[in-house]
Amino acid sequence: MSGGVVVVAEHAMGELADITLEMLACGRASADASRSGLTCLVLTDDARPFHALPLAADKTIVVQDPGLGSFNPEAYAKVLGHLLKDLAPRLVLLGNTTVGTDLAGPLSVALSAPVVGNCIKVDWLDGKLVFTSKLYGGKLVARSVIERGSVLTLLMAGSYRKERGMKDAVAPIEVRPSPVSLEGLRIRFREFLKPEAADIDLTKIPILVCAGRGVKGPDNLKPLRELADLLRGAVCATRPVVDQGWLPRTRQVGRSGLIVKPRLYLALGVSGAPEHLEGMKDSELIVAVNTDPSAPIFDVADYGSTEDLLEVVPALVGAIRAMRGST
Amino acid sequence: MKVAVILRLVPDVVEELVIADDGRSLAEDEIMYITNELDEHALEQALLLKERRGARLTAIGVGGDQARDALATAVAKGADEAVYVPLEAQDRADSHRIGAHLAGLLRQERFEVLLAGTQSIDELDGSLGGILASHLGLPYVGGLAAVDTDPSGSKATVKKEFPGGRLAVLEVSLPAVLGIQAAEQPPRYAAVSRIMQVKKSLQVKEWKAPVPDVVGVRITGLAKPEAAGRAEMIPGDAESVAARIARLLQERGLL
Repeated sequence: MSGGVVVVAEHAMGELADITLEMLACGRASADASRSGLTCLVLTDDARPFHALPLAADKTIVVQDPGLGSFNPEAYAKVLGHLLKDLAPRLVLLGNTTVGTDLAGPLSVALSAPVVGNCIKVDWLDGKLVFTSKLYGGKLVARSVIERGSVLTLLMAGSYRKERGMKDAVAPIEVRPSPVSLEGLRIRFREFLKPEAADIDLTKIPILVCAGRGVKGPDNLKPLRELADLLRGAVCATRPVVDQGWLPRTRQVGRSGLIVKPRLYLALGVSGAPEHLEGMKDSELIVAVNTDPSAPIFDVADYGSTEDLLEVVPALVGAIRAMRGST
Repeated sequence: MKVAVILRLVPDVVEELVIADDGRSLAEDEIMYITNELDEHALEQALLLKERRGARLTAIGVGGDQARDALATAVAKGADEAVYVPLEAQDRADSHRIGAHLAGLLRQERFEVLLAGTQSIDELDGSLGGILASHLGLPYVGGLAAVDTDPSGSKATVKKEFPGGRLAVLEVSLPAVLGIQAAEQPPRYAAVSRIMQVKKSLQVKEWKAPVPDVVGVRITGLAKPEAAGRAEMIPGDAESVAARIARLLQERGLL
């Protein structure tokens, strides 16, 4: 289907990831706008779970090979390089994930196609593709235009509604063997590690107090813990805080951590980098405190303040105590 | 074993980002440059490899003049050699141009392990590591949270983050390019006095060559995000902000 749109599916344990459905939603809109077709590519060692899915694609191609059991960037890039050369699509959608970002570079060089990363929107304008991407930790958005030829796009999670990636009927499916030998690869998958045991399940806690880089040091977590205890909630963190070792990995919210939707998310010293927003933007109520008025967290928060969190938190603990004392 | 780490100098996003008059780039004289955060993690992982395996570590600073400071810091932390690859402002955020350029410079160097941050804060066009690896004909895997090699330097064992935070162990034949998401421990600090001392005697090799003109993406417009669902900002000092938040929580039955 030369000139069409291709989605490279991400899946785990026989189930398509949400990002796949979101890419299909984006791909469907893009294929309709350009009057072309949408193909979903699934690489796996077992095609069975993908047979009867009501996807918004016009066609699903499943490449089945024992070497495609778990994600291996070298195996994926080899197979996709072949398939994409044949399909010659105008637009290839990859997830802006640790899967998609491994593939973009090798496929770009193999296909001589540019890459547009951090993408949140794809539009057609007079036969040209127009992309909107988040840049500089989400502080700016960049527009870029690709006038002709194939382009690889890394789509950010949460940019399109996953419901639109499905439809009522089952798309035709074609199962193929790998077009290339997957022997002698230089990257070999070994095993998944058992996740670290968490002391609590963050996804089930209705009130989360999130520590961002603005807490400045592990000693400053104490008042946040006090606030969380007072609200019968828990403290969670952004990636930089976890990378510094101030809180365990099991408390990390975001792209490479947990996706949470609490009733209240208090974002304290959180800048709101795209990878963090992916994990918490659907919280019912978001209150953010950050001294940087241009922090992207204020674009998703309901209420915000640019006061110093190290002053606001103790004051909030005091205010809540006073309120409870008076009722 | 020879290990190299790529350090890209990028705009510090904690500072205000000023859009230039052309409407599609940052005003160069308003930018504060710092080392890309994930490249700092790549450096830490490289230092760990050096300590564990006795590797020789080359730090490659890429960007404007500020890269020399980053290199001094890297040497103060333990890198053995400093290489500066100067780039004009318009090339600095272009992973395709940097990837093709570095591949040309690195082809003769025979590093067993090339480390870089999985992404940089200023790149629009995907991951430098994968592009560089493809030009060099090497394997690439990114999103890594740990790297070790066997004593002979023939293969690396890495921990890769998969979507949803799952970690997997992969084995990679060397030489290879590896993209670091987070080092096994937080990046170490170098004392300022140590950095100043290093600067006095630092020998920086400079690799200069024309940057190849490769297929890329040009930004046509740069803007602040639309303020669609912007937060209602609470005025006043910390006390009044706290009082307002407390009332909000009470109204919503969250106390």
